[in-house]
Amino acid sequence: MTGFVDVVSGTARDLFPLIWSGMITGCLYALGALGLVMIFKCSRVVNFSHGNVAGFAAFLIFGFSSGTLLQLSWGTAVLLALIAAIAIAFLSYAIIAPIVFESDLTATIATLGLGLVAQGATLLIFGADIVSLELPVPRFSTSFLGLLITGYDLTVLAVTVVTIAILFFVIDYTKLGVAFRAISSNPFAAEVCGLNLRSVHIFAWVVAAILGVVGALLIVPTTFLSSTTVVTFMLQAFAAAVVGGFSSLPGSLIGGILIGVLMNLFTFYVSPEFTSTFLLGVILLALNIFPNGMLVKVGGSRV
Amino acid sequence: MSENAVSLTSPRALRTGLSRVAAGRAATYALVIGLLVLPFLLQGSWLYTLGICFANSIGVLAVSVLVRYGGEVSIGHGFFAAVGAYSVAILEHRLGISLLVSLPVALVLGVLLGICFAWPSRNLSGIYLAVSTMALALALPEVINNAGEWTGGFQGLYVSRPVIPGIDMSLQRYFVALVLLIVVAYGLDRLRHSRQGLTLLLARSHPAAADAFGTRRVWARVSVMGISCGIAALSGVALGFSSSTVSPSGFTLWSSIFLLVGSVVSFYGLSLPRALIGGAFLTLVPQFLSGSGAWIPVLYGLALLIVILAGHFAPKIAAMLRRHPEGL
Repeated sequence: MTGFVDVVSGTARDLFPLIWSGMITGCLYALGALGLVMIFKCSRVVNFSHGNVAGFAAFLIFGFSSGTLLQLSWGTAVLLALIAAIAIAFLSYAIIAPIVFESDLTATIATLGLGLVAQGATLLIFGADIVSLELPVPRFSTSFLGLLITGYDLTVLAVTVVTIAILFFVIDYTKLGVAFRAISSNPFAAEVCGLNLRSVHIFAWVVAAILGVVGALLIVPTTFLSSTTVVTFMLQAFAAAVVGGFSSLPGSLIGGILIGVLMNLFTFYVSPEFTSTFLLGVILLALNIFPNGMLVKVGGSRV
Repeated sequence: MSENAVSLTSPRALRTGLSRVAAGRAATYALVIGLLVLPFLLQGSWLYTLGICFANSIGVLAVSVLVRYGGEVSIGHGFFAAVGAYSVAILEHRLGISLLVSLPVALVLGVLLGICFAWPSRNLSGIYLAVSTMALALALPEVINNAGEWTGGFQGLYVSRPVIPGIDMSLQRYFVALVLLIVVAYGLDRLRHSRQGLTLLLARSHPAAADAFGTRRVWARVSVMGISCGIAALSGVALGFSSSTVSPSGFTLWSSIFLLVGSVVSFYGLSLPRALIGGAFLTLVPQFLSGSGAWIPVLYGLALLIVILAGHFAPKIAAMLRRHPEGL
């Protein structure tokens, strides 16, 4: 009997911190997934360059603040990298703009080309070395009901909540947001009503770029920064988007947190070596069980 | 489709069309004969490079089939190539079986895995296949590395058993890849003219019409993926045999994306010369840029974008020039 109690209390002791830290990283996956879903919703293009561009921006922050390129304060470096990411988003959209309405498949392939260029640029400028990029968060930690809550956790949570609140406010209440929703649900009718598809597309690309940079910036302190980390981080974002249905913003939020928690439990209880395989399994399972996302009840084909 | 219909109405257009087809056939035969004679003129390292080039060409064909017949894109074909390559290597290491037996095994495994893999996204739009193949490509290296007992882990396995004992191994490495490439290209040519191939194309371009003729869309999509993955497994067989090593570094997400780049660069062509263009692009560019590896993704990315944009704008510019023949 006592053995059983021990096991239960031991599991509970492990489980809550695992779920908590999974939720924290899950918030970041959700940020990445939101960017993918925003672009997909309005233009039916899957942006495979998302991770590469976000990784490039994270490297720019490192380069601007560490003295590799410039010696600036952290805040200025982040600002400059954000501007660079937005400029890259404009440029990317300008390149695929002629193809978007013709074939979303070709446009999706084109984003792979953009990703290759971003990846190559990262390798050319910063090399294949591993660097560390710290986040200036207050070094603080407190214990709450057996959970160790650090300043980093609270920062991530606060940034995610604020970012998503702003995003949902913009989408729900501003003119641009209404146009975005109209175009997502029926592009033809929206165009007939005189909405400009291009400006909404650019809005989605810019928002996605910002979300990607924020996500990459916050995920890097938990691991390290190399030319591949942010790209693999984006696999989690893709999985979150698929679990959420790929065209639902709240769905990708829930999907992100779910993926974060599941990943944490899997690495702790099963194996830390098969994380990508696990994500592959989650994606395939999610496609089988709820093809249109968790928040949609009825299954069926999307034509 | 409409161009064919127009050309059939006028006898003169039909004649020029037929003569162009005949010329294309003659050029392909000449190319095949040239490639068959080539090893007796060239030496050593070029034979090796060409063998790998043929293997890459088969991989490019696999991706192009999926785009052409299925309207879908995969960035995980490296997985199916790895299935082919590792079945050859593992069967040779464990059982001492030569390529003649392991080749059909690899083909069947590739087709079956492709069908299994296409199944979850059978009813969904093509982007789901792209995303799940991306996960497949990312999961592959960790599976190979963690099954080290079978796959040799990071170091990989050697493939050294000859198909026909007694013949120079470098010639065999060249000819196995070449013969596989020719067989695949010939098979695809036949598929294009067969009833099944036309059915698959109809299911892609007019799903409702295909439904009316009794072709289910799910069946068409899954079988296209099966064909494509079978060809990808054959490309893995050729790659493993002609490069004589099989290791996880050859089957990363990037190598899968590169296959797609090769397919785009050859304009998704299914003919032998087009496939060779794609394969040569994938094999020769890294050779010329071997000193500066980081330029390879940049160059591939730019080539991809340029070809896509050229494919978009070239017909429009041509039409504009036709409207204003005396110049703009």
